[in-house]
Amino acid sequence: MDHTRTLFFTGKGGVGKTSLSCATGLALAEAGRRVLIVSTDPASNLDEVLGTELGQSPTPVAGAPGLFALNIDPEAAAHDYRERMVGPYRGILPAAAIASMEEQFSGACTVEIAAFDEFAKLLGDPAATADFDHVIFDTAPTGHTLRLLTLPSAWTDFIASATGGASCLGPLAGLETQKALYAATVAQLADPATTTVVLVARPETAALREAERTRRELAELGVGNLRLALNGVFTAGDSDDSVAKAMEWRGTEALAAMPGGLASLPRQQIAFLPRGTVGLEALRLMFGAPEETVEAVSLPVGTLPPGLAPLIDGLEAMGHGVVMTMGKGGVGKTTLAAAIAVALAARGHAVTLSTTDPAAHVVSTLEGRIAGLDVARIDPEAEVEAYRGEVLAKAGAGLDAAGHAMLEEDLRSPCTEEIAVFRAFARTVEEGRDRFVILDTAPTGHTILLLDAAEAYHREVMRTQADMPESVRQLLPRLRDPAFTRIVIVTLAEATPVHEAERLGSDLARAGIAPHAWVINQSLLASGTTHPVLARRGRYELPFIRRVADSLAPRVALVPWQAEAPVGRRGLLSLLGGG
Amino acid sequence: MKKLEVYDPAMCCSTGVCGPEVDPMLVTFAADLAWAAEQGVEVRRYNLGSEPQAFAANPAVIKEMEAGMDRLPIIAVDGHIVSTGVHLSRDQLAAKLGLGQPKPRITVKADGSSSCCPPKPGCC
Repeated sequence: MDHTRTLFFTGKGGVGKTSLSCATGLALAEAGRRVLIVSTDPASNLDEVLGTELGQSPTPVAGAPGLFALNIDPEAAAHDYRERMVGPYRGILPAAAIASMEEQFSGACTVEIAAFDEFAKLLGDPAATADFDHVIFDTAPTGHTLRLLTLPSAWTDFIASATGGASCLGPLAGLETQKALYAATVAQLADPATTTVVLVARPETAALREAERTRRELAELGVGNLRLALNGVFTAGDSDDSVAKAMEWRGTEALAAMPGGLASLPRQQIAFLPRGTVGLEALRLMFGAPEETVEAVSLPVGTLPPGLAPLIDGLEAMGHGVVMTMGKGGVGKTTLAAAIAVALAARGHAVTLSTTDPAAHVVSTLEGRIAGLDVARIDPEAEVEAYRGEVLAKAGAGLDAAGHAMLEEDLRSPCTEEIAVFRAFARTVEEGRDRFVILDTAPTGHTILLLDAAEAYHREVMRTQADMPESVRQLLPRLRDPAFTRIVIVTLAEATPVHEAERLGSDLARAGIAPHAWVINQSLLASGTTHPVLARRGRYELPFIRRVADSLAPRVALVPWQAEAPVGRRGLLSLLGGG
Repeated sequence: MKKLEVYDPAMCCSTGVCGPEVDPMLVTFAADLAWAAEQGVEVRRYNLGSEPQAFAANPAVIKEMEAGMDRLPIIAVDGHIVSTGVHLSRDQLAAKLGLGQPKPRITVKADGSSSCCPPKPGCC
């Protein structure tokens, strides 16, 4: 297949963006092209998939001549950016002034901005990637990707309309000189001759719905050169295995119901692989013939961890408080949060189920009302509107027209969303004082940024004496209190999800937060399948299950792959029966 | 023409709406500077976070900061420092600039905290 110079892979978390971008890059490199793969995901696992330790500049991939890769690590990028802004003034301004400048550049805004800055440099400046025939972006999970993609136009408008000293560019000020670069970035994204955006999805309703949402949003941004990649298409063959038949049927149903806009895109299908996609060998198989599997597989029994029921019993014993399901996108955080919420509500407790996931599908997961259960979503746009209204009412009341205009201008800053969402999050956590609040958090990278924001915010709150909402003041102490908040790490029994969950665990530890339990979701091993390909995949899960159960998790639950999609009250409660 | 220079502490933005809590004083001050500019005063406002070069270029400002970061904001008229550690009110600005009395207007009150707070960045 012909490829444009720049390729983006985007889609719901866990659909295989990294695998596909690596497999595509590898195929191009092996056809003699020079290829650069770039990850902008704060929780990138590009290193692991390619088997090469990467940095922030192009690194040759071992065993694949012509293939190079780099990670844009937002934290490191923020550090560099901070140093670029502050460094020249060391020794010139007093140490206390330097410290206060550094403090100003350690918030979540700076991280986001610095990451975008790096991204724009690669995309908007032809010289930055002149050595390569192709540049492939393994983009961050969808909500984040869309923010990255929409920011250039948002900021172009913002920078253009900012006037005089009133502008709220703040940490953005250092970027004001880069207008031309942003313009070039936007232009390139929309140029079909140079750029293709590959929407990656699995044959699942939620992933396809997400892909369609992205397709529409990109179309609105003027990005029209789109392709659909369907990853993990499974065929049961002539097997009678109920799990295999259900899996094939579910895929077929989801594809049949695919939105028209998606169905009309050029399409590529990748077969379900019984092994993971870590390493060059496995990546080559993605575009190759499916493996023949002949040996009969006997499943081990008796040593697997229990299902969800003991975990729910433990959570119920708290009486109230916050339960957060965390993990990489696509591991089933939403479904598990909903299952926990439904189970607690069914036992007569008052429960709020809430999400900060920009790609929230909680509501469609629940499909219908359940007694005792409130479903809420932290909608960034609505939160920003409410925050703007509050500020304008409080601080804008006595201002003349010019002052009012200035305030409104400052409220258009990208920082405002960060703050508005943060306050909503704190408010939701506070509700856990007298009921259960189940939070289905955003994908890992975003969550980490959120917690980091909590940390920076916490410091800021302690320092200032402004009339801070009590919910904000109490947020971090609450998240750190195991009697108030219980973190459930959700993962799959595969190399990458387990490693990412481990990384999440250590990030949480740094923030002074200890997870309560781990849930290994969608286990084929626990499903009882005897289909050769699926059983082989199941057997591949065992070392990962052991690793989680024996050395990572204080408590663990294993949830079998469900023959019926866990939707609605019955579907969600059925998750509890397994193990 | 009079020149008014303000050297602010490191802030996300000059109205303070990007901080953890909006400080109505900062919003008012930003509006007061706009008013001064309308009266024909050349107004320059520098944020330590984003425009450190303006601080580095002014030895008198560096000297104040060495005495303590609570000297910010520093306000200078025609190159002479006229106040430290406070965002002056519109009346005070008018007096320092030798402008006539400003038109009476509604004053902004912070909810239940209109009294002056301890000196710190971004407060009265």
